[in-house]
Amino acid sequence: MKNKQTLLLWLGGAVAIVMLFDLLFMQVNYFSIICAILLVTTFVFLIKEDNNSNAIQLANEITGNNSLNEQGIEQTLTSIASLLNQQMSIIDTEVDRASGLIRDAVTGISGSFKYLKNLSEDQQQMLNTVISHQQGISDDQSMTIESFVHDSSATLEDFVKVIISTSKQSLEAMSFTNEMSKQLEGIFSLLGQVEGLASQTNLLALNAAIEAARAGDAGRGFAVVANEVRALSVNSTELNNDIREEISKAQVIIKQLQHSVETMASADMTSTLEAKNRVSEMVEHVGEVNVKTNTVVEELTLLSPKINETVEIGIRSLQFEDLTHQTLASLKNNTQTINSLYQALNQFDIKQGGSGEQLKMLQKQCQQFIQKAEYENEHRSVSQSSMEEGEVELF
Amino acid sequence: MSVKKQVSDNGENIEISIDGRFDFSLHQHFRDSYANCKEKGQVFTINLATASYMDSSALGMILLLKDHAESHSGKVVIVKPSESVNKILEIAQFHRLLTIER
Repeated sequence: MKNKQTLLLWLGGAVAIVMLFDLLFMQVNYFSIICAILLVTTFVFLIKEDNNSNAIQLANEITGNNSLNEQGIEQTLTSIASLLNQQMSIIDTEVDRASGLIRDAVTGISGSFKYLKNLSEDQQQMLNTVISHQQGISDDQSMTIESFVHDSSATLEDFVKVIISTSKQSLEAMSFTNEMSKQLEGIFSLLGQVEGLASQTNLLALNAAIEAARAGDAGRGFAVVANEVRALSVNSTELNNDIREEISKAQVIIKQLQHSVETMASADMTSTLEAKNRVSEMVEHVGEVNVKTNTVVEELTLLSPKINETVEIGIRSLQFEDLTHQTLASLKNNTQTINSLYQALNQFDIKQGGSGEQLKMLQKQCQQFIQKAEYENEHRSVSQSSMEEGEVELF
Repeated sequence: MSVKKQVSDNGENIEISIDGRFDFSLHQHFRDSYANCKEKGQVFTINLATASYMDSSALGMILLLKDHAESHSGKVVIVKPSESVNKILEIAQFHRLLTIER
C-alpha cells in the first residue's frame, strides 16, 4: 500500500515537473492543460485514498489498544485490591495488638493505683497514730518522753525537798542531843556533890570511931556502928564512880550520835544541781523536738490528701482505655469499609467492551461507600476528646 | 567560816552574815545567833555576800530560823547570794518560801 502511494507520488511529481518545463519554455496548448488536469485529479485521488487507509489503520490500532487497556485496568484494580487487603489485615492486627497492650497496661496501672491508694490510706492511719501518741491522748497509761521528763523533774524536786527536810530534822535532833549532853554535865556536878557528901560521911565515921575508942568498953558498940557507916560511905563512893563511868560512856555514844546526825544533815547539793541542770536541758530539748515533730507530722498530714487527689486524677485518666477502645472499635468500621471496597474490586470483571459501564458501577459503589463512611463518622460513638470531662469511680 | 551578828538600834532587825563555807560546822553558832531573839515581829536578814558554798544543812538551818521567826511573827530575808549559792537556793525552791534579794 505504501509503495504504491510513493510510486504514484513520484510519478505525479515527475509529470508536474515536465508540465512546468512545458509551461516555461513552450507555448501553452490544450494537450498540456488536459494532462495537468488529469495529473492533479489523480494526485488528489491518491492523497485522499492515502488518508483513508491511514484512518483505517488508526482505527485498527485503537481497537487493539482497547483490549489492552481493559486488561490493564483489571490488573491495576486487582493489585489495588490486594494492597487494600494486605493493609487492612495489617491494620486489623495492629488495632487488636494496641487494644491488648492498652488493656494490659491499664490493668497494671489500675492495680498500682489501687495499691498506691491503699498505701496512702495506711500512711494516713499511721500518721494519725503518731499524732495521737504525740499528744498522749490515745492511752492514758502511755508514757510520753515529755511526761517522763516532767516526772523526772518533779521527782528531783521531791528529792531536794526530802534532803532539806532531813537536814532540818537532823539539826533539830542535834540541838536535842546538845541539850542532853548539857543535862549529863549537870548530872556530873550533882555526882560531885554526892561524892563530897560521901567523903564527909567517911570523915565523920572516922571521927566517931576515934571517939568510940576513947570511950573504952562503953563505946565498943558505937565503934561497930561507926565502922559500918564508914563502909557505907566507901560503898557510896564506889557507886558514884560507877555512875560517872556509865554517864561517860553515854556521852561517848552521844558524840557518835551527833557525828551521825551531822553526816545526815550535810548533803552536798552540787550533784543535785548538775542533775537538775541536765533535766532542764532535757525538758528544753524534748520541747524543741516535739515542736519539730509536730510540724513535720502536720505537713505529712496535709500531704496525704494531696496524694489521694493525685491518685484519683490518675484513676480518672484511666478512662482513656475506654475511649481508646471505642476509637479502635470505630477504626474497625473503617476497615470494614475498606473490606467492602476490596470485595467490590474483587467482583470487578471486565467483559469485552463493557468497561465503561463497569467503571461507572464501581464509581457508584464508591460513592455509596463514601456516604456511608461520612454518616458513620458523624455518629462516631466516641465524641469525648478530653480526659477532664466526667468522673470515674475507683473500681 | 564565821557567823557575825548585828542587831539594829531598835532591835527589830537582826543581820546574820556568813563568811566562807556555810555548812554544818556553823550550826551551833548560827543557832546561838538567833536563839535568844524572842521579840515579836523581828526581821532576820541572812547576808550571804561572802558565802562561797552552801550544803543542805545550811538550808536546814535557814528553815529552822524561818520556823523560829514565824513562831514570833517575824520573817527571814536572804540578801546578796552569789551565783553558785543562788543556784542552790533555786533548786531548793527557797524563792517560794522566803524573800531573796539579789
